[in-house]
Amino acid sequence: MGEMIFEASGLTKEFGEVTALRDVSLSLRGPSIIGLIGRNASGKTTLLRHIVGLQLPTRGQARTLGVATRSLQHEQLARIGVVPDAPTFMRWMSVGEQLRYLSAFYPRWDMERQSSLAGLLELDLHADVSGLSTGSAQKLAIVAALCPRPDLILLDEPVSNLDPIARDQFLKLLLEIVQEDRATIVISSHVLHDIESTVDWIVCLNNGTVAADAALDDLKDQYAEWRVLARTRDLPDRFADAFVVRQTVMEPRRARLVVRTAGADLRAFQAAHDADVEAAPLNLQGLFPILVDNGRH
Amino acid sequence: MLITIDVHSGVPAYRQLLDQIRLQVAAGRLRPGDEIPSTRALSAELGLNPMTISRAYALLEEEGLLERRPGLPLVVRARSGATSATARGAQFTRALGPVASMARQLGIGGKEAGDALRRLIDGNER
Repeated sequence: MGEMIFEASGLTKEFGEVTALRDVSLSLRGPSIIGLIGRNASGKTTLLRHIVGLQLPTRGQARTLGVATRSLQHEQLARIGVVPDAPTFMRWMSVGEQLRYLSAFYPRWDMERQSSLAGLLELDLHADVSGLSTGSAQKLAIVAALCPRPDLILLDEPVSNLDPIARDQFLKLLLEIVQEDRATIVISSHVLHDIESTVDWIVCLNNGTVAADAALDDLKDQYAEWRVLARTRDLPDRFADAFVVRQTVMEPRRARLVVRTAGADLRAFQAAHDADVEAAPLNLQGLFPILVDNGRH
Repeated sequence: MLITIDVHSGVPAYRQLLDQIRLQVAAGRLRPGDEIPSTRALSAELGLNPMTISRAYALLEEEGLLERRPGLPLVVRARSGATSATARGAQFTRALGPVASMARQLGIGGKEAGDALRRLIDGNER
């Protein structure tokens, strides 16, 4: 078990009538690349803001790098790099000037990393910040967040505005950084396909509650899809087995189930329903609706 | 060592790694004393999370298939002939699982399946 990076217990955040986070308890340890997933308005950005203390809990506790988030000091904040969903910069500066300005605040600013990142992402240091496209502004935000060699990196939808090649290079870069700096990276994304090879841990939020908090590979071990084909008689309208978490009966003799692999006995099931079953694993995209459903109960 | 991981297949990546390294050892493509790529090198090659790779390596070490020596690359460990024969058998049986379930679905019996497999192994049929 690695260093405790972020710890929440009973964290609830209310904005007037709206509850954005509801009784969230989490322990994030590093080094790790954590995928923060969930539907729109599930609380992902609010959780990221709580990690850096930009927002404070209405109730409950939040600690980052061992310190209560309401008391985070420069010492901790200098160890955190953030790429927000809508980055803003000083519009009158060039990209290079903006980076030089930021570097003054960080003792560990890595010039070598700055030039290699700018090269890799094809970010023009002479361009004016005011003229940057959405994608280039995102690249600037990435360079600005990674050059101080932070121990904790928070990325809010960082790949959404990058083209496929920049996206691929960026994700590979995260793999290097997590090893070089033993950093912990929290990356929120809707593009599940892209982050599937990058992350080792998944935190899934649904309606402000934690619907999943587990190693990605363990989640894949925990669920499977069963394609059921009856041999002689119709299948039931609903399967009563406790391990069946989702079911679609397509035709009287054909069904598609998602099962919890612990406790699911394929042979007994085949015998009971006189059916053939083809078991298939689920990838992150396939798991997502199941995880979100879990958050409802 | 040549490894291919399909991260979108749904099979946990650490499991794909375990299976492929076990297979290569059982098939003699990786021999005792052969070096295994570092976590960092394999992560860069496959674009795969390094914690996932470490997890697979740690499990193979626990199994006694790989050996970690301080400051040196991981190597394949020497195994007795009996152990590696058992490992080969287990590997083959695992791979036949899906074939067996297809045979059941097609109503193909053990003898017919065995004959088909024998012809394929002997190379009389493609």
